[in-house]
Amino acid sequence: MTSNGVVIELRDVSLCYRLAKRKIPSLKEYAIHFVKGSLAYEELWALRDVVLSIEEGETVGIVGRNGAGKSTLLKVISGVLKPTRGTLRRRGWVAPILELGTGFDFELTGHENIYLNALLLGRQRKEVDEQLDAIVEFSGLDDFVRSPIRNYSSGMLARLGFSIATAWKPDVLILDEVLAVGDARFLKRCGERIEEFRQAGTTILIVSHDLAALQKNCRRCLWLEQGRLQADGPVGEILDRYREFVEGTGTPPGA
Amino acid sequence: MKDLLRYRDLVATLVIRDLKVRYRRSTIGFLWTMLQPLLTMLVLTAVFSAIFRFELPNYSVYALAGIMFWNFFSQSVTASMNSLKGNAQLLTKIPTPKAVFPLATVIAGVINLLFALVPLFVILLVTGHSIQPAVLFVPVAILIAALFTFGAGLLLAPMAVFFYDTIEMISVLMTLLMYLTPVFYPMDIVPEKYRWIVRFNPLRSVLEVFRDPIYYGKIPPLTHLTVAVSVTAVALVVGIIAFRRSSDRIPFYV
Repeated sequence: MTSNGVVIELRDVSLCYRLAKRKIPSLKEYAIHFVKGSLAYEELWALRDVVLSIEEGETVGIVGRNGAGKSTLLKVISGVLKPTRGTLRRRGWVAPILELGTGFDFELTGHENIYLNALLLGRQRKEVDEQLDAIVEFSGLDDFVRSPIRNYSSGMLARLGFSIATAWKPDVLILDEVLAVGDARFLKRCGERIEEFRQAGTTILIVSHDLAALQKNCRRCLWLEQGRLQADGPVGEILDRYREFVEGTGTPPGA
Repeated sequence: MKDLLRYRDLVATLVIRDLKVRYRRSTIGFLWTMLQPLLTMLVLTAVFSAIFRFELPNYSVYALAGIMFWNFFSQSVTASMNSLKGNAQLLTKIPTPKAVFPLATVIAGVINLLFALVPLFVILLVTGHSIQPAVLFVPVAILIAALFTFGAGLLLAPMAVFFYDTIEMISVLMTLLMYLTPVFYPMDIVPEKYRWIVRFNPLRSVLEVFRDPIYYGKIPPLTHLTVAVSVTAVALVVGIIAFRRSSDRIPFYV
């Protein structure tokens, strides 16, 4: 492997959510605890020493049980959360589709949210102007774009989010379980668009519990367990081991 | 911070959203921006020319300019503090520089202040207050006030995220600060021995720099100007440093 084509590189990345053991909502209490040295935190390490390097154009699936750190890993890679320890190196424009309704203001219309969302992703107004019709067309929302998105169904939100984030070819596309709610026809169109990006060299990261879909779409797969990168390799092999583990017949992690 | 320039279209959109949301639910919309300071001015003028009697000619202009300034400052600071929490949905999911939120808030405040200038000039005309060319200095004064407020907002917005009671505490301090700033009273009613408090209040120079060209029709004296620019520079630097230091931790707490 040459380092030329590396798009994402994580070196010993750990991420800790510090949860105050006691709720300390006031400055006064904070000052008291600080002086007494009794600021107790519960440390929750969502990621531990993750070492990872992803090449340009790879499509990588990520599996793991709930709370294994999958979403946190995607948030670190997309730049929303900064690692507590370790370093992240990344190249190019990232389109993160992290959750339903990501980066939307529910009081605004679909139309207004297209601008808001795309600008939040670092696009310029002019670029949005150019792509507006294409985004609306792809989302299939038609006249709904003129009503506030609080009236949208989850499927409609997913469609809008996907349409915006993929209106420009990203260097890295991050999909976190977002396609679970779309209807068959829309999923097909998403699949086609993702395939187009893949052909054009976009790096794709997919978190999903739909193992069959991962098997079909990815070549490489990561398995996270309690914040650690449990396994990293060809999708078939990893998914077999993961399946065995989840069904309780496989070797437990760390054994 | 340099990212802010790249995200200028986003800031513009957030400003428009801010103004829209603020006025969407009220029937006369942005007219309130003009009406509110006028009504406050009427109340103050009634109270202070009938009851307390300040020796100030054309008190209503003095008070109105003060109220407009104060409204801008206090509303923008409060809104900045709420801006990170209010946009938690956005900043925990999209890697956007977080300073865009307080920045957009302050810019929206400036736009409101500009709207409020309209009734001010009407009052100037109605009361026959002379308008001097010095009034052209007002935009500069507004810029100084905006930068000062942005600095304060950058400092306080992360604090409001980390400590729930910052907002309550600041609202009390704001009331205190208002009385320590000659918003609606003239400097000379302050007893001699307390005058230094008002004099050392950093906000006071920023206010006078705004009001001098309107009320006294003169470019603010160099002393005021120097102090105003200095405290603004300090507020900005402190705000930027505080915000940068805490920016990475914000998504964990909002």
